[in-house]
Amino acid sequence: MIRPGYRLLSHTADLFVETIAGSFPSLCEVSVEALFSLLTDRRKVRRVLKKNIEFPVVSPDELLLSVLRGSLLLFSLDQFLVRDADAAMKDDRIVVVFEGEPMDAARHSMKLEIKAVTAHALAVESGPSGVFKARFVVDV
Amino acid sequence: MKFEDISLTRISETAWEIPQSGGMRVLGLVFASPEMMGDIVQDQSLRQVINVAHLPGILHRSIAMPDIHWGYGFPIGGVAAMDADEGVVSPGGVGYDINCGVRLLRSNLEAASLRPRLPELVAALHREIPSGVGSRGSIKLDGKEMNKVLSEGGRWALSKGYASDGDVDFSEGGGRLPGADPEAVSDFAKRRGFDQLGTLGAGNHFLEIDEVDEIYFPEAAAAFGLFQGQAVFFIHSGSRGLGYQVCDDYLDVMAAYIRKERLSLPDRQLACAPINSDEGRQYLSALAAAANFAFANRQLLAHQTRETIQRFLSMGPRDAGIRTVYDVGHNNAKFETHEVEGKPRNVLVHRKGATCALAPGSRELPLDYRKVGQPVFIPGDMGRCSFVLSGAQGAAKLSFGSTCHGAGRRLGRTAARRSLRGKSVFDEIAKWGVLVACASRKMLAEEIPEAYKDVTAVVDVVERAGIARKVARLRPVAVIKG
Repeated sequence: MIRPGYRLLSHTADLFVETIAGSFPSLCEVSVEALFSLLTDRRKVRRVLKKNIEFPVVSPDELLLSVLRGSLLLFSLDQFLVRDADAAMKDDRIVVVFEGEPMDAARHSMKLEIKAVTAHALAVESGPSGVFKARFVVDV
Repeated sequence: MKFEDISLTRISETAWEIPQSGGMRVLGLVFASPEMMGDIVQDQSLRQVINVAHLPGILHRSIAMPDIHWGYGFPIGGVAAMDADEGVVSPGGVGYDINCGVRLLRSNLEAASLRPRLPELVAALHREIPSGVGSRGSIKLDGKEMNKVLSEGGRWALSKGYASDGDVDFSEGGGRLPGADPEAVSDFAKRRGFDQLGTLGAGNHFLEIDEVDEIYFPEAAAAFGLFQGQAVFFIHSGSRGLGYQVCDDYLDVMAAYIRKERLSLPDRQLACAPINSDEGRQYLSALAAAANFAFANRQLLAHQTRETIQRFLSMGPRDAGIRTVYDVGHNNAKFETHEVEGKPRNVLVHRKGATCALAPGSRELPLDYRKVGQPVFIPGDMGRCSFVLSGAQGAAKLSFGSTCHGAGRRLGRTAARRSLRGKSVFDEIAKWGVLVACASRKMLAEEIPEAYKDVTAVVDVVERAGIARKVARLRPVAVIKG
């Protein structure tokens, strides 16, 4: 059983994130949660609203990039902070349910501004023992 | 000299060449001192100089400034000029924060006269100028007005009473990049920008009060209206979420082009399309629109800064004398004429973390500056100093009229925070004698002076290389950060 998680790798100017999970949908979930943990203290984000987004299945790395960019747009357009993400494969798409609430400056302290999730050094790997790993660079 | 598998040949006191190998179409050219090379080789940035040299239509050299560091696709501090007919345009060669740049405001004020009431002045500026993640400006644009901003840039601000003629005249290209088409900007991008005009942003963006503490080139300093002991105001910001989204949108467009044409690139963030393709033309139209949003944004920040200071000091505009020295971007792609192999050619110059530095005599410069060259602003860090430079003739010959843009990071963000070892970031910055107001303590910790290279060494290299000339040194007095 793989415990999903993330860590930051060395990078001079931006943030280089590595995530690990036991399946590809779980990898998408933990990557989104890592992204929002960089943005704010997720423990202070309440589970108030759910937003569903469907992403067409392409290659695993492009799909992960779409999921991350889609989740970041929730914040960029509507200031929606994600507490949890729940992803499931359905036929030719992945459905992600983002649960959280709109940013409230009185309760949510923001750690940094994320400009974008980049395609630079983006990688998704799956190992023989069912371990899925992703690496992506976040422009801050 | 060889670092890992990258060969470097020192060709002068301040310049190194990377020879052509594999699919490189031109050589690499890195401006740096031997001491700086030790830091530069620590990350992937030299590999990125090589990758950029693979792009179709690149001319002369794939160039890196001494503040080079690891970017995404192109290095930060990179310059690449493409043949306007045969070359490509790449969003990765401009970066996410399209036309991020710097404006310097001069004043009639002595920095020493501000010190007694500095905490109150800094609090007023921090209150009046929206900064930090998710900050919103006081101006809410509708669709029609947004399109005007995207088309007209700084001139939109002039038409609304947020600028003077001098603000626009003393901005790169008159505060407007031609060729903008608001229709090339997605609805998502526009939505991200609707309430962000006149906001500073976060990260390394700032508003800084500085004191001019040394003059090196008196004639240029006089032309720029600078004098020793003067209070000046530095604004560093860009196109905010609108620009980030334009970059994201067009990286997808370019990636689709690369797939369609089955082209191979060493890094997918180098995704590009021919300048004369539909994809290339559309991106350039959207890029110009986002650049204009950045010009308008910095103009509003300048306006708010000027108004706040005048109100705080109970001074009129004439007495305070807060005027734009110049406004110049450092993330852009522009068509310019440069001499290549002895002949003038129309080229598209990508500058990602590099500043346009027009030499004396350039007809694109305002008359007041034509004799001394274009003002270039090089922010250092919050503790040490920043510089005002002027464009020099060497830039036209060596770097497509470009020079550096800042100190360049030395430490990663986590490493910067760790280096504090539990000490208060405010105390550490206070040791430099600088007052700070910020929205996020964590972000401030990532921007400590030690996280950056010594900007004096960076500026020394570009001056010795002949691609810019030192005009004045600025000492930070107070910093407002997002």
